Amino acid sequence: MNDTPVIQLRDLRKRFGEVAAVDGVDLTIRPGEVVALLGPNGAGKTTTVDLALGLSVPTSGGALLFGEEPRAAVVTGRVGAMLQGGALLPDMTVRDAVALVAAAHRRPMSVDEALRRARCTEIAGRRVNKLSGGQLQRARFAVAVVSDPDLLVLDEPTAAMDVEARHTFWSSMREFTDAGRTVVFATHYLDEADTFADRIVIMRAGRIVADGTPAQIKAITATRAVRFSGVGAAAHVALRGLPGVRSLEARHDSVTLRSDRSDDTLRALLTSFPQAHDIQVVASTMDDAFLALTADPVTTDTAPEGIPA
Amino acid sequence: MTTVTASGRMPIRYVYLETTRQLRNVRAMVFTFAVPVIMLLVFGSAFGSQTDPTTRLQYLVVTTLQMAAYGAMMAALSQAFAIVNERSIGWNRQLRVTPLSGWGFMVSKVIAAMAFAAVSIVITVLVATVGMHASLDPLRWFAAGFGIWCGVIPFALIAILIGQFAKPSFAQPLFMVVFMGMAILGGLWVPLSVMPDWMGTVAHLLPSYWLNRIGQMGAGATGSSGMVEPAMVLACWAIVLAAVIVWRYRRDAARQ
Repeated sequence: MNDTPVIQLRDLRKRFGEVAAVDGVDLTIRPGEVVALLGPNGAGKTTTVDLALGLSVPTSGGALLFGEEPRAAVVTGRVGAMLQGGALLPDMTVRDAVALVAAAHRRPMSVDEALRRARCTEIAGRRVNKLSGGQLQRARFAVAVVSDPDLLVLDEPTAAMDVEARHTFWSSMREFTDAGRTVVFATHYLDEADTFADRIVIMRAGRIVADGTPAQIKAITATRAVRFSGVGAAAHVALRGLPGVRSLEARHDSVTLRSDRSDDTLRALLTSFPQAHDIQVVASTMDDAFLALTADPVTTDTAPEGIPA
Repeated sequence: MTTVTASGRMPIRYVYLETTRQLRNVRAMVFTFAVPVIMLLVFGSAFGSQTDPTTRLQYLVVTTLQMAAYGAMMAALSQAFAIVNERSIGWNRQLRVTPLSGWGFMVSKVIAAMAFAAVSIVITVLVATVGMHASLDPLRWFAAGFGIWCGVIPFALIAILIGQFAKPSFAQPLFMVVFMGMAILGGLWVPLSVMPDWMGTVAHLLPSYWLNRIGQMGAGATGSSGMVEPAMVLACWAIVLAAVIVWRYRRDAARQ
């Protein structure tokens, strides 16, 4: 397989008036990667996707797909996309919608094959406006794969899906990626990013704040909270210096230390501050991690000084 | 933006599927087709077989062509709503991740508009000839109908301009103003001869006047220029409108 990056974003920026929707994104995605783009609403995921696909023009910086202008890659059918707010015409059947988009492509796969891959064979004759949320997303997936693309870009593909629909969707996606193709999907769902992606990119306020394997992302954030009372504000500096402590929060008499080695932190705490009482040790969830990463850039691994109390 | 210039080959199959898709939805257009026929039945029978002094054609023929032009224009302009609707759904966004170029999109819409216009022209002429016994040489009917049919191209382009670039909330009133203005000032509802003089002057600037004119000329109305003059004016309109669409398309793409 050649080594040209599938997606290459260089210092990508997009301003809408005063707002910097994308504020200096550098990202390289290689063939065969399955990348989750994770972040809260307004983090710049959709704008980044639009810029990468050439649907909008960056204020500065550049985007390349397969080493060329995005539009050139779109024209050759190497890119399939399920975009946010890109829906199908309501009065068409699923088959007709897929056939119409196929006709716009130069070398599409057969309509039946696209329907099969998206698990749409049973709903092929149904009108788009009669579909459930999950079925509609599958129909849109069929439209996205009909050009037989090397790269699939999916902006929140499982929004409006129930658990079972989501399961069906990801199993059809696996079939697609098992053939060595590249997938980039934007999502709110951490568990989806965790179980499906082999790389997670977290965005906040138009920037990438974390980028790594799910294990690495979890490691960044796999802290435990050590919570106790009875130690005054004067000791905060010393508390921050305890082994493993990443940050400190204090509220009234209660102190919460976030630590990546909670056993060591606890031993040192009990030795140095025997007056500490009501001690709890609580594991952080992936959601805590996500919130921590996206709420305040200071808490990322690159800046371990901790939150000012 | 490259989407317009990198047109590449014309996706014939796409244009075909897009047109048949719209034609399958023909029920939505019934009203559009019915109005000119009703007006033809009302006005056509009122004046009957007298001769119109300006064109030296039978009044019924003049009214038929007027209504055929009106129906064809209306059918073409209604593409504006189809496009506004598709935009609001996000279909255009989906199309932008395909090789379909701005030109391909424009051609598909013009052809769909012409398909509807053809239906309207044929219905109107059939009602006039079969139902009301309007007398004209079949070749002249064909020339008139064909002239009007080709003449709807600028109206299809106006529809694209409204549909593609007007804000959704603004598209409806804009459509009404354009459509009423074209119909009344172009003399498609009431002959210009009964209108004040200044309206005749305005009419000569509008494509709707020339759409009616090309029909009359095809039917053999008196006049030295034949179908050439109206055809030239309509072609100029088409070129200017196409240029505006391409310009707006590029500007939109650059701003996004």
